[in-house]
Amino acid sequence: MTESQVKAKSTPTGSLVSVQNVSMVFATGTVALKEANLEIGAGEFISLIGPSGCGKTTLLRLLADLIQPTSGAIRIGGKTPEEARKSRAYGYVFQAPTLMEWRTVLQNVMLPLEVMNFPAHERRPRAEKMLGLVGLEKFARSYPWQLSGGMQQRVSIARALAFDPQLLFMDEPFGALDEITRENLNLELLRLWRETGKTIIFVTHSIPEAVFLSTRIVVMTPRPGKIETVIPVDLPQPRDFETRETPQFFEIATQVREALRKGHGFEVQE
Amino acid sequence: MTRLRSPNLLPMLVVALVVVALYYPLMLLANVPVAQRALESGAALECKTALACASQLRSPVLPSPQQLLQGFRNLTFPLTAPTSILPNAWATAGNTLLGLLLATVVGFFFAIGIVASRAFERSLLPWVVASQTVPVIALAPMLVVVLGQYGVQGALPKAIIAAFVAFFPITIGVAKGLRSPDPLALDLMKTYNATQSQTYLKLRFPASVPYLFTAFKVAVTAALIGAIVAEISTVGFQQGLGRMLFENSRASDVVSIWVIMISSAILGILLVALVGWVERRVTPWRR
Repeated sequence: MTESQVKAKSTPTGSLVSVQNVSMVFATGTVALKEANLEIGAGEFISLIGPSGCGKTTLLRLLADLIQPTSGAIRIGGKTPEEARKSRAYGYVFQAPTLMEWRTVLQNVMLPLEVMNFPAHERRPRAEKMLGLVGLEKFARSYPWQLSGGMQQRVSIARALAFDPQLLFMDEPFGALDEITRENLNLELLRLWRETGKTIIFVTHSIPEAVFLSTRIVVMTPRPGKIETVIPVDLPQPRDFETRETPQFFEIATQVREALRKGHGFEVQE
Repeated sequence: MTRLRSPNLLPMLVVALVVVALYYPLMLLANVPVAQRALESGAALECKTALACASQLRSPVLPSPQQLLQGFRNLTFPLTAPTSILPNAWATAGNTLLGLLLATVVGFFFAIGIVASRAFERSLLPWVVASQTVPVIALAPMLVVVLGQYGVQGALPKAIIAAFVAFFPITIGVAKGLRSPDPLALDLMKTYNATQSQTYLKLRFPASVPYLFTAFKVAVTAALIGAIVAEISTVGFQQGLGRMLFENSRASDVVSIWVIMISSAILGILLVALVGWVERRVTPWRR
């Protein structure tokens, strides 16, 4: 696995991820996503926000080739999602840590490297480096059950980064965590994003989280799931806890809230 | 391990004590009429009253604890005599574990088939279920004869019969285990573009290990029964608790039959404990 294979190149139009008129209708007839259009540049941090049933997870799963769209075209670095998946262009962090309970923390981070046939001598140093990046090098030999929920999710982030994909898909990774842990992990994730230069697409239903993390927020609304609007977040980098206190932060949060309300995003809590 | 065993020991002993306390009057109740008849018939007995004789009958309805202890002594020493419990229990344990091994191979084969293919599940699972309704007591002598015809002798035919009753719980357990990974974990493997065999090797097999051991605990007792039944059905001189059972029941030695019965139960407990011990060794991530 060479670097060039792992890293997807930008499309001629300048966007790394391109979503054009993508619709997803499930076998049950549910329109999960209707004619979505989105261009994402390399190095961006994009949040998909909206209530349950707005199609944000669906969109992420479409990008990851875990499901295939009913119509429309998706390009990731000029490739189809399937090609991108097969060339291991992205790492995926799920809602749950999905760690293998029989593997130690280090072995969990080494899992993708084993599956992708990285040379044996490279796996351990790479995994150790990633654990260092998420601040868990001391827990390399622990088993997942010995870790807190937040730590487990950090392991799963380290695992997603282990094979150095350019793209990181994150599906409500901190949804199950308490507010304090979540804010700390948000800060840590921003640092990771700055240090690694990854492009991150992040699903959330927390407005402060989306505003704090993103360069742009994609507001989605349900029935049928669609992209309501895209709100740029021009808060200065690097952001820290004080960022959350600035008037600008509240201004953008209000914008997001209003966009959600406009699409009746607040009425639905399934 | 001590952590697990010591709290278990006391309740177990309490139960044993209660059983003995209940057993003793029951034994007297069952044996007194027989002792009475023996006294009346004028048989040469060393006891005077029916109550005293009840615990000393040669063919008791229920043997007295003293008789059982004596029986254990007789059947235990000398330790390595061919008629002693130890070598026979050893042989039965060997047959059982060999059977369990065969059952595991067959069980995995069926379990993978069931998980990988709907058609396999639909066409074969009913027959697998049907196979378990065949009484092993009827099947065993027939299989022994058939296998003997092809020169399969010694431990193998008994292990095959043991495997016949043991593979079913293993099949079901492993199939459940192979299906146990979270859908997200399967998605995760897909994002790695993992091959089918990698998904089995890295995800489905390790995930099924706890299920396998749960199945083993059921299967090993089933295999033990299978092995004993097979030993009873085997002609010629062979070792095993089943063989002992057969010889002593032909000699109408009631006390010995009881002793062998209890020994098989103890062997069963030991085998389950062995499974538990191996489980703790190979799944260090649990607890």
